[in-house]
Amino acid sequence: MPSGTGKTVSLLSLIVAYQQHYPEKRKLIYCSRTVPEIEKALAELRRLMDFRAKQGLKEHFLGIGLTSRRNLCVHPEVGKQRWGEEVDSGCRNLTAPWIREAAKGKAPGEVPLCDFYEALENADTTASMPSGVYTLEDLKAWGRDNGYCPYFLSRRMLAFANVIIYSYHYLLDPKVAEMVSKEMAKDCIVVFDEAHNIDNVCTESLSMDITRPILDASARSVGELARKIDDLKETNQTKLQEEYSRLVSGLRQEQENRAQEEYMANPVLPDDILREAIPGNIRRAEHFVAFLRRFIEYLKTRMRVMHVVAESPTSFLQHVKDLTYIERKPLRFCAERLSSLIKTLELTDLHNFSSLMKIASFATLVATYQKGFLLILEPFESDEATIPNPVLHLTCLDATLAIKPVFERFSSVIITSGTLSPMELYPTLLGFQPVVTESYQMTLTRTCFLPLTITRGSDQVAISSKFEVRNDLAVVRNFGNILLEYAKIVPDGLVCFFPSYLYMESIVASWNDLGMLQDLLKYKLIFIETPDAAETSLALENYRAACDNGRGAVLLSVARGKVSEGVDFDHNYGRAVILFGIPYQYTESRILKARLEYLRDNSKIRENDFLTFDAMRHGAQCVGRVLRGKTDYGLMVFADKRFSRADKRSKLPKWIQAGMTEACLNLSTDMAVAMAKKFLRTMAQPFEHSQLGVSLWDENEIQKREQQAKYDGDRKAAFGVEKREGVVTNLTNGNGPVLMEIVG
Amino acid sequence: MAARRPPVPAEDVEINIMDDDDGNQLRGASGQGYSWEEEYKRSWDVLQEDEQGSLQGAVASIQQQLKRRRLYRDSATVQRGIIRHVYLGIDMSSAMVELDLKPSRLECTLTLAEQFINEYFDQNPLSQLGVVLTRRGVAEKITELSGNPTEHIEAIRKKDNRLPDGEPSLQNLLDLARTSLHHVPSHGSREILVLYGSLTTCDPGNILDTISQLKEDTIRVSMIGLSAEVQICRTICKETNGSYGVVLNEPHYKDLLFENVPPPPLAVAKSNSNLIRMGFPGSKVFEHVALCAW
Repeated sequence: MPSGTGKTVSLLSLIVAYQQHYPEKRKLIYCSRTVPEIEKALAELRRLMDFRAKQGLKEHFLGIGLTSRRNLCVHPEVGKQRWGEEVDSGCRNLTAPWIREAAKGKAPGEVPLCDFYEALENADTTASMPSGVYTLEDLKAWGRDNGYCPYFLSRRMLAFANVIIYSYHYLLDPKVAEMVSKEMAKDCIVVFDEAHNIDNVCTESLSMDITRPILDASARSVGELARKIDDLKETNQTKLQEEYSRLVSGLRQEQENRAQEEYMANPVLPDDILREAIPGNIRRAEHFVAFLRRFIEYLKTRMRVMHVVAESPTSFLQHVKDLTYIERKPLRFCAERLSSLIKTLELTDLHNFSSLMKIASFATLVATYQKGFLLILEPFESDEATIPNPVLHLTCLDATLAIKPVFERFSSVIITSGTLSPMELYPTLLGFQPVVTESYQMTLTRTCFLPLTITRGSDQVAISSKFEVRNDLAVVRNFGNILLEYAKIVPDGLVCFFPSYLYMESIVASWNDLGMLQDLLKYKLIFIETPDAAETSLALENYRAACDNGRGAVLLSVARGKVSEGVDFDHNYGRAVILFGIPYQYTESRILKARLEYLRDNSKIRENDFLTFDAMRHGAQCVGRVLRGKTDYGLMVFADKRFSRADKRSKLPKWIQAGMTEACLNLSTDMAVAMAKKFLRTMAQPFEHSQLGVSLWDENEIQKREQQAKYDGDRKAAFGVEKREGVVTNLTNGNGPVLMEIVG
Repeated sequence: MAARRPPVPAEDVEINIMDDDDGNQLRGASGQGYSWEEEYKRSWDVLQEDEQGSLQGAVASIQQQLKRRRLYRDSATVQRGIIRHVYLGIDMSSAMVELDLKPSRLECTLTLAEQFINEYFDQNPLSQLGVVLTRRGVAEKITELSGNPTEHIEAIRKKDNRLPDGEPSLQNLLDLARTSLHHVPSHGSREILVLYGSLTTCDPGNILDTISQLKEDTIRVSMIGLSAEVQICRTICKETNGSYGVVLNEPHYKDLLFENVPPPPLAVAKSNSNLIRMGFPGSKVFEHVALCAW
């Protein structure tokens, strides 16, 4: 179901009603994908709570969102930094315990501190926010007005909030989850919204790429560390000794500095951390530095290999041992040991050490996991390249690993999205047994979207982005004609998606040679998405301006890019979406091949099934951008002959499938244009507003239904038929994840 | 039972065909297009079957709509300004060459525009009208504001003014009409009615500025789109209290256009000019001897 049809609010209202009804007031953790989506969910929650208040409910309720420092910092200088890492490190320079310790004895102003953080620290620990729902902007404003740091305030308030809305990385990525979500009670209700891509988030949170520059930077950092240690040896020998003895006694850092900020979190899942003392050979700081140096040198040698290597972590570790005599166990402790050292050395400007931290995390990951991971060394960027640019990928192939702790810890997990189809695949991918699997219908007052499948051009040549034919002149020209024809008839904004940047570049170049772009410019301005985020947001801004002032614009973008995931093209910003070809992943990618193989061997998912599933969910995401709410309307054009095949179509979300009639499955360009014209005319007619704001469900209806249900239930019980429980009851009794999709 | 029919003589068939074609049937009722083209009119597009395959629902809803429209029109007691100053803006861009309205967008538009002008002066005898065009990125005024329908119709019929070319410029069109309406007395309404076939506009500046100027001058802009809903048109009409419609087919086009014939309700009743002397020349006594030309 497209957003704007009330997915989020139905889910929230149901859970909040449940939560407030029972005395234990189970906390709701609502995870969404991007910051704008978090903002939207918070706004929905606020409306919901306002409505509840209007209905006469007096509740003590706190709903907050959490995001990174970059989005929340109100410090006049630090908050202005552009990059997340800079903000983080700037913040740490002002708030680290040893800096605050150092500032204590001195005159105020001598050591720079963050006033907002100080105010929060000095305030009573019970200092809390008045109840209500705070969007991220509200949080910032409130923090600024009251002189408290919004970031730390919201982290502190996590324990008290009834509803927490944040990104799913805070639960899935072990590096962040350890810091943020450790304290969450077991009975929290966890919701993953927009979860159609959750398996990729899971694998990415445990994957890592090492490149030459990272190795070089970390070698420099190691040098820096060694120098710092030498300094410390001369000035303050005892400190190092203290650390050493602490490590010997095996006291864990976390337990000691629980309240403090963690500077570098362990990249592996909490269950897999060894509860042991750090091994002897890296306990001494200088030994550890030497150890790191050796490991980095080893990685550098590996990078010099000129052919592709794919190996399991076990064989990698064996090789490490053979060459450098580094054992597996100290490698596992690398991340932890480094974070302890950073603390002891009281380092500031941590972003200089980010590469080294990455290497340490890599070591820990590779030494911890044997199964479900693969190391791939690619010496060249592409097959044609001759200049080596080696990348060492450590890829997690198993999405179940990262999400398993979530299922284990929380009793109610709800996975939901507008485009979660086919639903049978998700339990296998994520490794869980769904308690309830439900797909909901939606009502639309008019058919406000029209999916059209174009299988051939006006000249009857079949079109496809299949690798063999995608560069055929006929196909390229037909794709261009589709764009041109639609640019003529679609008002304002038109968005096109291509399977990859590479293909987009080549086809746009060919269109230019054919003179099609010149023709296109008569009707619309052309904007292109690039891998650069800043460039793309500039293009988007101008695209919107062109849609607003009547010039009209075409946005050429890529199915897996930023535009396809996070940007909405509501109303005039997108009257039509054209999907040129099926957005398959780059199938020659070694990482993908490894993952497919793993899925085949372990989850019994055939390669082709997974590829199609993945392509169609991205396709659905792309075309779903066009429709944002009931008053909106838009065309969805699938331009590839393969889309008309049943196996592709059946993997689209049900609400799109429902709109696909037999008549629009196998169209040529001119037929599709005629249908689109008619659709656009019809949709431009005034919308019958009498249908808005009318509730199909009222109190009487619900009571009637309840009675009916009770009657049915009694009868079934009498006949010994098992009574099926709804979602609500499952939230109370069910002990396991709930998978649901709200579709039309 | 199978009573053998006598074979139909070939001449009969021919005669029948001749009969069909005979008379004035060659031309369509409105004088446009030939009768053999008529059957390609997709009249069934207007009717949509419901789930049961019946047309009853569709017919009922059309009737309902008509009723609602009539009710809406009749029930409101509004003050309407009977002295109107309207500029009729016609898109003359190459988008008007399209054949989706019969015989073409341009022909259809110009024919309807003529009918509109006649009807307009019939129903608004005290009002004035002017015509502007936009093509090749500029706007041209083909007639000034005046109360003579033949003048406008002649201008529209002139061959030069029937050649679509280049891109339209909505901003230029509105600006030209706005400056031309600038001097009209405040007791009359100022309106611009645009028939717009294109989906883009090629503007020299920011059209949003033009909207605010139009609002300042209390000019009402109504637009009729010929192919699809364009956001900027909707915005302009909404901001200036005009109406915006997109045509479905030729009769609908006519309906939409003729909705603009009766004067629209006044936005605010102007208290200072409720009574206006007109139709009687004022007598003026000059102190000095004046030459009189007529």
